[in-house]
Amino acid sequence: MTKKIYLLFLVILLPGMLLAQDKITVKGKITDGGDGSSLPGVSIQIKGTSIGTTSDVEGNYTLAAETGSSLVFSFIGFKTIEEQVGSRTTIDVALPLETTQLNDVVVVGYGTQEKKDITGAIASINNKDFANQPTTNLAGNLQGKLAGVNVTSTSGTPGAGLAVSVRGASNPLYVIDGVPMLSESNSSLSTSFDTEGNVVGSGQNLSSISDINPNDIESIEVLKDASAAAIYGSRAANGVVLITTKRGKAGKTKFNVNYYTGTQQPTRKIKFLNSKGFIDLIEDARAQDLKRYQADNTIFDTPTSTFDPTVLTDPLNYSVGTQNTVWLDEVLKSAPINNYEISANGGDQKTKFYVAGSYFDQTGMVIENFYKRLNSRINLDHQATDKFSIGVNATVTHSRNRRSFNDNTYTGIITNALGASPLMPVYDANGNYSAFENYQVSWLSDNPVKSAREIEAFTTSNRLIGSVFGEYKFASDLKFRTSWSVDYSDLRDEQFFSPLTADAQSVNGRAFRSNYNSLTWLNENILSYNKRIGEDHNINAIAGFTLQETTSDLTSTQAQGFPTGSGLKNISSAAVINNTSGLGASYGLQSFLGRINYDFKGKYLLSATIRSDGSSRFSKDKRYGVFPSASLGWRISEENFFGKDGVISNLKLRTSYGVTGDQDIGNYQSTSFYQPSRYNGTPGLRPRNLADPSLTWQSNSTFNIGVDYEILEGRISGSIEYFKSDKTNLLSEDNIVGTTGFQTITRNAGKIENRGWEISISSINVSTTKFKWRSEFNISFIKNEIKRLSNNGLLISAYNDLAPTHILQVGQPQGSFWAIQYMGVDPQTGDAMYYDLGTQQAQSINSGLIDSDDSQISGKAIPDYYGGFNNYFNYGQWDFTLATQFSVGNKIFNLIRPTYENLGWSNEGGLDQVYANNYTGVDKRWKRPGDNTDIPRASFINKNYIENSTQYIEDGSFFRFRTLGIGYTMKPLKGSTSLRVYGQVQNLAVITKYKGFDPEVSSTGAGNPQTAGVDYAAYPQPRTITFGFNFTF
Amino acid sequence: MIMKTIYKISLVIFFSFWTFSCNVLDQVSPNDVENGNVFTSTAGAQSALIGLYSSLQARDYYGGYFPMLSDLYSDVSVAGGFDNIALNEISDQTITPANIFAQNTYLALYYTIATANHIIEGVELIKDPTFTTEIKNTIKGQALAIRALAHFDALRMFGQHWNNGSFFGVPIVLTVQKATDITPRSTVAQSYTAILKDLQDALPLLDTADESKQFITAYAVESLLARVFLYRGDMANALQSATNVIDANAYEMLDQNNFSTIYSGRLTSESIFELSFDVQNRSSYNVLTYSRDDALRTEILWLAEESLNDFFTNRPGDARAALVDFDPTNNDSGIIPDGRSQKYRGEETRNNPAYIIRLAELHLIRAEAHGFTQEGIDELNFIRSNRGLADYQLSDFASESQYIDAVMDERKAEFNFEGHRMFDLARINKTVLSIFPFPQREITASRDILAQNPGY
Repeated sequence: MTKKIYLLFLVILLPGMLLAQDKITVKGKITDGGDGSSLPGVSIQIKGTSIGTTSDVEGNYTLAAETGSSLVFSFIGFKTIEEQVGSRTTIDVALPLETTQLNDVVVVGYGTQEKKDITGAIASINNKDFANQPTTNLAGNLQGKLAGVNVTSTSGTPGAGLAVSVRGASNPLYVIDGVPMLSESNSSLSTSFDTEGNVVGSGQNLSSISDINPNDIESIEVLKDASAAAIYGSRAANGVVLITTKRGKAGKTKFNVNYYTGTQQPTRKIKFLNSKGFIDLIEDARAQDLKRYQADNTIFDTPTSTFDPTVLTDPLNYSVGTQNTVWLDEVLKSAPINNYEISANGGDQKTKFYVAGSYFDQTGMVIENFYKRLNSRINLDHQATDKFSIGVNATVTHSRNRRSFNDNTYTGIITNALGASPLMPVYDANGNYSAFENYQVSWLSDNPVKSAREIEAFTTSNRLIGSVFGEYKFASDLKFRTSWSVDYSDLRDEQFFSPLTADAQSVNGRAFRSNYNSLTWLNENILSYNKRIGEDHNINAIAGFTLQETTSDLTSTQAQGFPTGSGLKNISSAAVINNTSGLGASYGLQSFLGRINYDFKGKYLLSATIRSDGSSRFSKDKRYGVFPSASLGWRISEENFFGKDGVISNLKLRTSYGVTGDQDIGNYQSTSFYQPSRYNGTPGLRPRNLADPSLTWQSNSTFNIGVDYEILEGRISGSIEYFKSDKTNLLSEDNIVGTTGFQTITRNAGKIENRGWEISISSINVSTTKFKWRSEFNISFIKNEIKRLSNNGLLISAYNDLAPTHILQVGQPQGSFWAIQYMGVDPQTGDAMYYDLGTQQAQSINSGLIDSDDSQISGKAIPDYYGGFNNYFNYGQWDFTLATQFSVGNKIFNLIRPTYENLGWSNEGGLDQVYANNYTGVDKRWKRPGDNTDIPRASFINKNYIENSTQYIEDGSFFRFRTLGIGYTMKPLKGSTSLRVYGQVQNLAVITKYKGFDPEVSSTGAGNPQTAGVDYAAYPQPRTITFGFNFTF
Repeated sequence: MIMKTIYKISLVIFFSFWTFSCNVLDQVSPNDVENGNVFTSTAGAQSALIGLYSSLQARDYYGGYFPMLSDLYSDVSVAGGFDNIALNEISDQTITPANIFAQNTYLALYYTIATANHIIEGVELIKDPTFTTEIKNTIKGQALAIRALAHFDALRMFGQHWNNGSFFGVPIVLTVQKATDITPRSTVAQSYTAILKDLQDALPLLDTADESKQFITAYAVESLLARVFLYRGDMANALQSATNVIDANAYEMLDQNNFSTIYSGRLTSESIFELSFDVQNRSSYNVLTYSRDDALRTEILWLAEESLNDFFTNRPGDARAALVDFDPTNNDSGIIPDGRSQKYRGEETRNNPAYIIRLAELHLIRAEAHGFTQEGIDELNFIRSNRGLADYQLSDFASESQYIDAVMDERKAEFNFEGHRMFDLARINKTVLSIFPFPQREITASRDILAQNPGY
C-alpha cells in the first residue's frame, strides 16, 4: 500500500522534476566594479529561494542552478544585481559601487538607524575620511567636514583642547561607545602667571578627549537637533558627539600596521625688525618727538614734572653691533612627529575582537615641549548562546606632556619672544643665559629660551575607559541590554622653576605638584523592541534606566627653596611648603529614557523621545528635568505621484522640535557653604558662595526643518536645513551687587538664540574604473543673539588685569568686542585718531578726550558663515585628498599686537630701554606730513596707540588648505595583503589678512564663548608634513 | 509568558537600583560646610571669627591692594609694571568707573562686611551651653568692629567722607543679604553714624585686658574711633579717643634707632592692630614693592614717586628717608626701578603684615585735633623726635593752615606705603575727584539704583 502511494507521488511529481532537472553548475569570479579587485564574501543567491553561497577569498564561486533561474549578487557597499543563468556556466560579475547612502547605518543614541529613516539632524563622518591625520584630538578630524559643527584650534600646543561648537553652542557631550566621557581639562597646572606669581587666565588647557586615539575610531556622529540629542537629556543642550570605535569582524585575523613620521614646521612667523631696524625705529621716534616738542611741548609735560628734551638728543646707550637675534627662530623649531600603531581584528561567528596598540610621539615646535601617548584598546564581542551575547570595550592610555609656558600669559615663551631685543644674545660670553635685565626692552619677564628650558612642567595622565555589556534576546523582536562602564582618570602635574628663572630666583627654586583622580561609573539598562506589523507598520522602541556617579579628588602642594646645586626637585627637599590643598567633588545622575520610532510604508516617519534626569547638582525639589522631543519625516520620493524615473532619486522632508538640558555648573552650586580659611595659624571658616536653591536645568529648545536629497541615484546628495534654538534658563554666573558679599550667583537667567542654515552637498563627479572624484561641500550660516540678560551691558575682560575686552548685551552675539574706535592717522601730525563719543568726532590721542568711556561694540568672534570643501580622488592605485576649510566674518582681538607695534615707545623715556621690539609691519608707519597710512607716527615719549581700540581688532576670516594627501595602494600583494604608502601635508597654507600667527585662535581657551576670539601670544599652529605606510595582512 | 518575564526582570532591576539611586543623587561636599551647620556651637562661632580675619587678608583688601591703590592715587607713589592700563589709570588719577582694581577692592570690602554680618546674626542662634555671654561678646565685638572698619574703608575710598552734608556716602549693610537685595548708598552722615555706632557698640563687649595686636581689641576699637572722628571733623571726640588709648600705656613709641623694626619685626610695641600673614598665607606687599634684588621696573607695581624722594631730601635727619630707596647713580629708572619701599622686605617669606593702625597715628590724630596750639605741636614733636627730626616751635608757623600742612607732611613721612595719603589729601583738598568712582559693575548690577560719584 505504501509502495503504491509512493509510486503515485512519483508519477505526479515526475513531470515537474523533469522540467526542473535541467540543473547546471555555474562558476564565476566577482570583482569590484570600482577597481577591478576580487571581492570575497559576496552573497550569491538563487532568486526566490534560500539556496545560495558566498564568494571565496579570490572572489570565486560555484553554485548549482537551474537554467531558468536567476542569481542575485549582493554585497554591502555595492549595488545588488541580478543575472539570468540561461545556459551560461560561467558568470563573471563586476559589482558596481553603491552610490546611494540611504542604507548607510548611522549611530544614534542607544541604537542605530538607516540613513533613510532618520528624522533628526545628524552629521556623520567615517574613518576613511580622517584616518592617519596627525592630530591628537579626535575633534581635529571634524574640522571643515561637517555642516553645523565649527571646530577651532585655539592653540598649537600638542594635546591642546579644541573649541567645538555645534550650532553655536560650545562644549558638546562626548559619548564613546555609549560611555559619556569627561572631556574637560583636568590639569590644574597653570602656565600663566602675572608678575606677582598669581595664576591668571584660563588659557592653555589640555583636552582629556586626547586620551582617545583617533585611529581607533570607526565613525563619529554629531547629534545636532533636539530630536537626535534629547535621548541624552540633561547634558545634550550643546549637541552630542557620538564616537564609535572599531570592532572585530568574523573571518581570518587581519593585522594592520600603520606608521607615519613627519615634521612640523612653524608657519606664518611674524617678521621682526633686525638690530638696525630696531635702532632706526627708536631714532625715528626720538626725531619725531623732538620735532613735535619744538613745535608744541604741552603733550610732553606731566602734572608732576617738566619734560627734559635731552633724552631725545643724547646718544642712546646701545648701538647696532654684530648681534642680531631672531627670537622666534630661537624658540620655534621644526619638530618631529611619529606614530606607530598595530591592530588586529577577526574572530568567528561567535567571538569577534579588535585589539590595537599605538604610540604617538610629538615634539612641540616650541623648544623643549613634547607630547607622548601610549594607547591600547580591546573591543570584544561574544555570542554565548543564540539569545545571549556579551562583550567588552576597554581603552587604556598613558600620556606625558612636557608643557610649554604659553597661551594667555604675560610671562610665556612666545609672549617674551614677541618683544625681545634683537641686540640681546641668547647666551652671554660665558655661556650662561644672557641676563634679560641688561638689554634694550622692558617687555621681557625673562629670557625666553631660559623660560623654555628652566621651567619644567609635566602633565602625566593615565586613563581607563572600559565597559562590559550583556544582551539577552527574549524574542526576535525584543532584547534587553545592560552595561557597566567606568571612566577612570589619574593625572599628575609637576612643575619646577629652577633658581635661574626670574620667577624663582629670590626663593631658590619653586615647585608645584598636584594629583587628580576621578572615577565615573555608569550603569545602563535598555530594553528594545523592534516589530514589523504587516507590510506597512514598522515600530522600533526603547526604554531604559541609567545611573551614573562621578567622584573626583584633587590634591596639590606648592613649595619653594631647594638645596642649591643639588638638582633636587621633589617637594620634600623644599625648605618651605607654601600651600597645600585637597579637594573632593562628586555628582550623580539618575535617568529614565524612552524612544519610539514608527514608520508607515517607509514613507511617513515619526520619532518621539523622552528622557527624565535627576541630578545631584540641584536641590531636592528641583532635581528632575524632563526632556521630550518629537520629529516627523516624509519621504516624498516614495510617493506614487513622485515617479521613480526622475532626476531626484530620493527626497525627504523632516522636521523636529524638542528640548534638551544642561547641568554644567560644577558641583554643589545650589547650596550656600562656608569654606575653610586660616588666620594667625588657626583654621577657620568663611562664606564661600551665595546659592540659589531654586537652581535648575538650563534648557535648550530647538526647532529644525530640513530636506535630505539624492539626485541621480546618489551621484549628488546632501541636506539643507534651518534651525532655531533658544537656550533659556541659562545657568549663568550672574553679577549681583557687591553689598551681598558676593560678585556672582549661579542662577537660571537669560536667553540666547542661535539660528542658521546648513547646506551640505556631496557629489561623485567622476566614477570610472580608472578615475574617481568625489567632492564634499558644506557651509553653515549662524546667527547668535542674546535675547535676555539679567545684567545687560556687562563688560568682561579676557584677562584679569586688563581693561574690558568684551560685552554682553541684548541684541548682540556672545563674544562681542568692546573697544574704542580707531579712526586712522592724522596725515598732518601722524597722531593716532579715535572716535570721541563726547564730541561725536575723531580726536587725536593727545587731545585728552579719548578714554575707555569712548568704547563701543566692535565686531564679534563668531563667524557669519563657515564650512569646508573637501575633494577625494582615486586614479588607479593612487589616491589624493584635498581638504579645505573656511570661516568668514569673525573678528580677532589681537591683544598682543600693540606690544610689537609700539612704534618705538620707551615706556619710561630712558636711554637704556624701550618697551619692546617691533615687527616689520611698522615700516609702513607715518613718517612725514602728507603720509596716508594706517600706522601712526613713531613716538618715544608718548604712546601713540591705544591697546583697547579697534586698531587691533582684525578680520579673522580665512581659507585654509587643511590637508593635502597622496597615497598609493599595492594590492593584493598576496591574498588579502595590502600596502598603502602615503604622504600628507596638514595645514598647507592659509589665506587670511590676519597679522598674527594664525586666525584660528582663542587664547582664553576652548570653552569660553564670552571671551572668545582673543589672541594673546598663542602657541602657533604648525604645518605638518608626514609620510607613512599602512600594511594589512 | 514573555511579558511576565520582562515584568519580573524590570521589577527586579527597578528595585535593586532604587537604593543605589537615592545615594547617587544625594552628594555631600567634602570641602565645605553647609551654612546651617556653622553657628551651632562655640567652636563654629570661633571658626567663623577666624574666617572674618582671613577675609581682611584678601589680596584686594589688606592683603596689599587696598593700601597700594590708595597710595597710587596720591602723590607718594606711582605704578610700575607692564604698562598695566587699569593701574596706570589710578596712578595718573584718570581712573574710570570700569576700573578693575577699584571694583575688586569694593567687592573685597563688602565681602568682609557680609562675613561680619553672618557672625553678628549667627551668634544669636547658638544654643550651645558652653557659648557663654563672655565668649559671645568677644566674638560679636570683634565682628562689629571689623564691619565698621570695612564700612569706613569703603567710605573713604568711594564716598565723600570729608563732607558730612554730602549725599554720596556708601551702602551700609547691617544684615545678611539675599541675592536680590540691593542696598542703596547712605548719605555721608548716615554712613558715619552707622560706623560710629558699630565701634561704640563693640567697645563695651571687648575685654580691656586683651592686648593682642593681631586681633581687634578694645584699644584697637578706640583707636579706630579716633580715626573716624577725625575724618568726620569731630576733633573733641577724636582727641578723647586717642587719649584713651595713649593713656592706657599699652603701647610704646620706638625711637629713631629702633622704629624700623616695625617693618622688619612683627607685632611691635607701636602696633595696635596689625594683620598677620605667614608663609602659607602670604601677603602681596613684598612682591608689589620689592619682589627680588634684580627686579625690573616692569615687575614692581608699587613704586615711590620721585617727589617723595625730593620730600625726604628736604627733611634732613628724617630716619624714615632710608625706607624709600632712591639711587642717585641710577640714570635709567626705566629699567632698574627707583623708589622701592624698604618697608616690606623678606623676599623668601613674604609674610609682611598690614599695619592697620599704630600708635604714631594716634599722636598725629591728637596733633591735628588739638589744632594750631602748643599741645598740637608737642604731639607733632613727639613723633619727630622719635624719627630723628628737630622740634618745631609755635613760631615756625605763620598760620593754622601752615601748621596743618606740617601735620600732613608728618603723616606723609610716617605712613607712605601704608595707604593713608589719598585720604589725607581728600580731607584737605575736598575735591570731587579725590575719591574713586563708584564701580560701574555695581551700578549696572543694581540696575542704576546705586548712584555714581559726582565728576565721573
